[in-house]
Amino acid sequence: MTASKTSDSSGTLEKDLVVQNKMGIHARPAAMIVRVANTYSGDVWVEKDDEQVNGKSIMGLMMLAAGRGSKLTIKAEGPSEEGLKMLEEMAALFERRFEEA
Amino acid sequence: MIDIHSNNTKFVEAVTVREFYESFKEPLRMELVAGAAGLDKSILERSLNRPALALVGFFTAFAAKRIQLLGAGEMAYLRDKSAEEERGIMSAILERKVPCMIISRHLAPSKTLLELANKYKTPLIRSPLKSKTFTTEATLLLEEKFAPRTHIHGTLLDIKGIGALICGESGVGKSECALALIERGHSLVADDLTYIKRVSERELVGTSAELSRGYMECRGLGIINIADLFGVRSLRMDKRLDLIVKFTLWQRGMHEERTGLEECNVEILGLNVPAMEIPVRPGRDMARLVEVAAMVQALKKMGHDSAAEFNERLIAHMEQSRKKK
Repeated sequence: MTASKTSDSSGTLEKDLVVQNKMGIHARPAAMIVRVANTYSGDVWVEKDDEQVNGKSIMGLMMLAAGRGSKLTIKAEGPSEEGLKMLEEMAALFERRFEEA
Repeated sequence: MIDIHSNNTKFVEAVTVREFYESFKEPLRMELVAGAAGLDKSILERSLNRPALALVGFFTAFAAKRIQLLGAGEMAYLRDKSAEEERGIMSAILERKVPCMIISRHLAPSKTLLELANKYKTPLIRSPLKSKTFTTEATLLLEEKFAPRTHIHGTLLDIKGIGALICGESGVGKSECALALIERGHSLVADDLTYIKRVSERELVGTSAELSRGYMECRGLGIINIADLFGVRSLRMDKRLDLIVKFTLWQRGMHEERTGLEECNVEILGLNVPAMEIPVRPGRDMARLVEVAAMVQALKKMGHDSAAEFNERLIAHMEQSRKKK
């Protein structure tokens, strides 16, 4: 199970997710993350260690070089109800291992 | 899935001898010597037959639907026979309703052969070409005549050697994009309506209608003459189809290809053509995007897939970082 929590601090929703697929966040998973992030009207940030990138940018996500086992924090800044839904979907996507091995 | 509206696929079932003779008289240097009454016979198969076995009386699996080619061997065999024997041999072949007969190397037909060709209303054609040359050339020309064809609502351009067909709804900006590409030095093959032929098992070739060649219709400008405006270099008669670019008006939430890793194809006349969908939005320079798309396709043909190469680099990098930990 993914170590995940949803916390609400000063209007920002956060969720910690672990990359579980064998090849990590390469181009295809990055495109899938962007597709989910784009459903949200607010800002989406993805953080790994101390690096933070825009969750709607494929290049940005790939530059995190998040291999298997990496811990990512997804942040949603904006409407909270919508944000919760988006984070749920994001968690489901990570849980499905981006439909990969 | 990219959908382009292609209909009206035509398969040519038969070509008349007249059509074959008149279209290819020059390239095949043919001369009709007898049997003109049979010019409306149909050629049902796109290859030639050397009737050597039929000459010796063996008719099992005889390809009677094909053009019969009498080469040096066949003609020498007939010369060796008496007129009566020749009549018997050739009647047996002609009774099987062959579409026409060709004599290669400018060999002279005997009186008997001329007479029989007239009697059986079977065109007899002479050519100075050698059998081998005639067969090769005629097969290629017949393949083209018999090629399945269709037409597609789209504009075909030659972008630095890549035949790119721009498709999309009316008013999405196909012609404007084509005009911008022509201005950049690429050539127009067909505007708005492209005729496509499957010339081999691997290749589709597009061309325009004879009547509209070199003309384009552009909203607000009307009909313009491309060769007059941009010079004859801006036109091309036909081009192999390498890439289909579909323009779609951009909508929120639509599927947009972001990585270039997904291979997409459109099937035309049974062959797969690489395809991509480019969303049209204000401020996007469509001509430049199509130009780059064509160059990406050219790179792929040479064995370089930018998207796949980049992804491999990334995966290798992640693998190494994991090992270091």
